[in-house]
Amino acid sequence: MMKRSDTLAASSFLGPATCVVMLVLIAPLVLLARYSLNRFDPTELMIEATTGANYARFFSEAFYWEVMRTTIQVALLVTALCLLLGLPLAWRLSRMTSRWKSPLLLLIILPLFVSSTVRTVGWMILFAKSGVMDTTAATLFGRHIDLMFTPTAVVIGTLSVNLPFMVLTLQTVFDGIDHRLSEAASGLGAPPARAFLRIIWPLALPGVGIAAILCFILGMNAYATPVLLGGPRFQMMAPLLFWEFNTNSNWPFSAALAFILMGTTLLLTTLANTVIPRRYRA
Amino acid sequence: MSAADIYRPSLGERAGEGAMTLLLVLSCAAIFLPLILTFYLSAFDEQMIVFPPRGYTLAWYSQIQAKFGAAIWTSLRIALAAVALSLLVGIPAGIGLQRYRFRGRDALSTFLLSPLTVPGIAIGLAIYVLAIWVEENTGVTLAGSLRLLILAHVLICMPWVVRLCLAGLSNHERTTEEAAASLGANPLMVIWRVTLPAMRPGIIAGALFAFIISFENLEINLFLVAPGMNTLSVAVLQYLGYHIDPLVAAVAVVQIVVVGAALMLLDRFVRIGQAIR
Amino acid sequence: MSYLRLDGLARRYGETLAVDRVTLDIEQGEMIVLLGPSGCGKTTTLRMIAGFVDASAGRIVLEDREIGQLPPHRRDMGMVFQNYALFPHLAVARNVAFGLEMRTMTRAEREARVAEMLRLVKLDHLAARLPRQLSGGQQQRVAIARALAIHPKVLLLDEPLSNLDAELRQDVAREIRLLQRDRKLTTIMVTHDQQEAMAMADRLVVMRDGRVQQVGRQEDLYERPATPFVARFIGNSNIVSGTHTGGRLVVEGGSAITLAGAYAGDGPATLAVRPERITLAPPAGQAQAHGTVLLSSYMGAMVEHVVALNPTTQIIARAPSSGPAATQRFAEGESVSMMWPASSETLFDSSNHLVPNRTDAPRSNERISSHA
Repeated sequence: MMKRSDTLAASSFLGPATCVVMLVLIAPLVLLARYSLNRFDPTELMIEATTGANYARFFSEAFYWEVMRTTIQVALLVTALCLLLGLPLAWRLSRMTSRWKSPLLLLIILPLFVSSTVRTVGWMILFAKSGVMDTTAATLFGRHIDLMFTPTAVVIGTLSVNLPFMVLTLQTVFDGIDHRLSEAASGLGAPPARAFLRIIWPLALPGVGIAAILCFILGMNAYATPVLLGGPRFQMMAPLLFWEFNTNSNWPFSAALAFILMGTTLLLTTLANTVIPRRYRA
Repeated sequence: MSAADIYRPSLGERAGEGAMTLLLVLSCAAIFLPLILTFYLSAFDEQMIVFPPRGYTLAWYSQIQAKFGAAIWTSLRIALAAVALSLLVGIPAGIGLQRYRFRGRDALSTFLLSPLTVPGIAIGLAIYVLAIWVEENTGVTLAGSLRLLILAHVLICMPWVVRLCLAGLSNHERTTEEAAASLGANPLMVIWRVTLPAMRPGIIAGALFAFIISFENLEINLFLVAPGMNTLSVAVLQYLGYHIDPLVAAVAVVQIVVVGAALMLLDRFVRIGQAIR
Repeated sequence: MSYLRLDGLARRYGETLAVDRVTLDIEQGEMIVLLGPSGCGKTTTLRMIAGFVDASAGRIVLEDREIGQLPPHRRDMGMVFQNYALFPHLAVARNVAFGLEMRTMTRAEREARVAEMLRLVKLDHLAARLPRQLSGGQQQRVAIARALAIHPKVLLLDEPLSNLDAELRQDVAREIRLLQRDRKLTTIMVTHDQQEAMAMADRLVVMRDGRVQQVGRQEDLYERPATPFVARFIGNSNIVSGTHTGGRLVVEGGSAITLAGAYAGDGPATLAVRPERITLAPPAGQAQAHGTVLLSSYMGAMVEHVVALNPTTQIIARAPSSGPAATQRFAEGESVSMMWPASSETLFDSSNHLVPNRTDAPRSNERISSHA
């Protein structure tokens, strides 16, 4: 138990930060939750009420189901691809000992801090009509490729945004595994691939699971990539929410969408968490 | 020595190596191709994306100031203010979490880091509706003001400051503080002369992180910018809604370079890979 | 040709040579200990033999086959790591079985071998435990069983005792030594602990700054150190530098030591004398050196005197506290004379090469008693 003076000191250290989160995150979310129960009228906009209609509307209309399905599909696909592409790179990076390791890591971290809008610009250049890919394909194969405003473009764009994050997280997971374990395995006669599958992979699995979940969450919440690469007809949850708010001024429904998005993500990640075996914890 | 002594990888091993290399190449392409293309496009001497271009020019960079100057300035002001405020709030929180062991400490630390896990789009919407609610009930105008934007940015910057301060203190020996106290330093003096200097790398890292996080934010800004006041990220998004041209690529390049420089600076103080976990 | 031969083995990291042309012949069934302070290149040498580090130059020849180009998993070396590197997610038996699963072997054979190994290290009752449920000593035995299970051509031990409690260390050292001898295991061990090395080795290899300083049996190293470094590292010799002139060594501070042997060549030189070979006596004319007792400590079996020749040069003398060879005790501040036989001193010239004793007195162990 803490002394009185310590309690006082601890509260003065931690008080301001707690207040910021309370006032700028919790209070707004509580109000938003309240608003999600209000009614919406096209002329009077928001009308005070206590109704589950906004939630019911989401779950009863096929269009919204479809948007949610697309969102989950994109997030899942992106996570799977991120794992596939991220694992080899993360593994290589983690086992690297040369002086290139830290500049390389820095290079991979860099995109993480460039906004997704800016990073999407590059893909727009690649995918656009008469862009790099289109022109190259036309010259080489005499065929045009127009990926702009397709789900493929969104998946690739989101993949590109999330991949550095995945690589970095996986790299720390691998770094946490004693490299002498793989040496021990190879000393006992295991070729590299078998040493990885038998020893490293089971040990990395919990961390890989966490990385995948974080990547999935990022995919669920993506905004800029679907808007810029998916075009107006392609809908995912975050853009839908902003559209309901900005274009339709339907606050109650966008509030409900916010909670449905957070709730679904939470539900799916909890589900995934229970699936990841915990017995491997060292 | 016979030829059999020389190690030859089996066919399977070679195929595995090949697949690995392919995945590595794809992975690097997915990360770096857009950045490289952005650099490339920014030098096109074309009004739109036409590939290959008829020539190259750096003229686009000189137009950034006219088209995006105001937005860059707004973003900078918000970021600097948000960094200062989140340091002011986050550093003590970091010290507090490191120094005191109390019931609910883990819960509090999760709570303080929670802004990192709520989707930006939900944070933006929620803060906006609260701002309107406050305006309706008190008459104080918050929505569309720079103050509110800064406050919202403090919310998303502060967790990074807390996190990096904690990381910076993880190797800190509490005994040095005890030594200072036994040598006659009062508690405030101990913090000022021993704890804060020990945290310096963490604080610098936190500040740079916070700056980048604020500067690059899009989702929260979408809800909180007022007509006529744009942050860079929103301006770029709106611009991209109508056209992709070398100018927007040039803006992107400037951002990449600024962020790159900040990271290089940061790398001298902390191992970033460790910090972002 | 020898069983395992290291031929000019070197490893360069950037500008620095971590291992500098190590050449060593190891016989089958021999226990070799690489000994030296941290950073001397002993572990890098071991890791090159195992294949975890590529040699920058030189060859590793095992049974007349060059193996330097083989990846670790083709080398048949059984390595015991300093931290044991047990697979944390596999039970003890599965850890031991791992190497066997990598080889073609029937299930029955494998299980029999695992059982045999676990019996060998007396862990058969813990086969189903996970490594983290074992004590440090038990973990170490699993590591040894795992390495031995594959019937390695060479057993490599990287500081195998350093993670054990002090009281356990000697027992385990003896166990490893007995196991090694009984099964005729060609073994290379790395350690920084001189006692451990002396207790376990057939031959020792003393390394410093990537170079081999001396290779030999315990007696060779103790009685005939090749360099001042070996003299200090094996058995903590007194090392005194000075100028050799006319059978005397004039040390810093002006005091002179009368050398017991006769040596050619005047000039800068370094003298090494074993503390336990120095006899203290009340001031007398015929002595190697004179000084004042600075510190006298009773250490149980031994008594240690620190004697100051002058304010900058000290010599440590150690002698049994009881028995026929027991030393006289001197109080702090008393003047004493120090004597030692020629066989117990070694003189090195300015380039740290041994200077031979011209009187060539027989250097045998019996001489010690005659001076007691």
